[in-house]
Amino acid sequence: MLADDLREDARHLAVKGDAEKRQSCLRRAISTAYYAVFHLLVEDFVEHWEFEDQRARLARMFNHQKMRDALFKPKEKSNPTSAETALMDVIRAFGQLQEDRHRADYDLGWKIVGTDVTDAITLAEETFVKWRSIRRADIARHHLHSMFGARVEKVP
Amino acid sequence: MYLPSAVTKQSEIEVAIQEVVRTVGPDVVRIRYEIGEDWSGQWAIFFRVVLSDDAAKRRLREVAGKVVWGLARRLDFPAMGVFPYHNFRSVSEQAALQEPAWA
Repeated sequence: MLADDLREDARHLAVKGDAEKRQSCLRRAISTAYYAVFHLLVEDFVEHWEFEDQRARLARMFNHQKMRDALFKPKEKSNPTSAETALMDVIRAFGQLQEDRHRADYDLGWKIVGTDVTDAITLAEETFVKWRSIRRADIARHHLHSMFGARVEKVP
Repeated sequence: MYLPSAVTKQSEIEVAIQEVVRTVGPDVVRIRYEIGEDWSGQWAIFFRVVLSDDAAKRRLREVAGKVVWGLARRLDFPAMGVFPYHNFRSVSEQAALQEPAWA
């Protein structure tokens, strides 16, 4: 999957950036970590679309901001289930990585340190694990639809 | 001009930060924050978390998770009208950069 390749690319860029002291590689590592998670979610959505030749078109309909702004509330706010907790972690991580990606690509005033890069990459890797542990759960399937832009409906 | 309610709850935010710093222990040296707009123009709260060198190097995800969840449990960000962002750096990294916003 493209998402897995991007996740690995982020690590390679980080290693190269660290070894060669190249800010460009460190910035690309952070940016790539975000895109790995972005494609993880998008690929998961479109792979269930029956018509294979339309999947790429469908994937292009995803909007970064809409994906970040998709709402989710656990049934019991003070006592979320483990799946709900994992989904909230994925949502928060997606927002964080998206903001970091934007800064890495456009904010030249951001003095990137090693911890920024490690944080982005390990957060993306953790998000892969969490998403894949819940991806078949109803709340995860419904949230993907919300990220796509569908109106929120009650989870059965 | 619209301002999120987080702007009026800064003492509540400070209390939550102090509790999290105390709870997580010496791995977290200090937490600073700023309320502003993110890349999309949405109101946000940006936490800048300085970690011990050891925590940043060996336990980053574990400590980051404790900070993120610790703040989320104490502060109702949606009700405050902000999206939370958290960035981390080590004591040594901050010593090299000397950025006032992280001091």
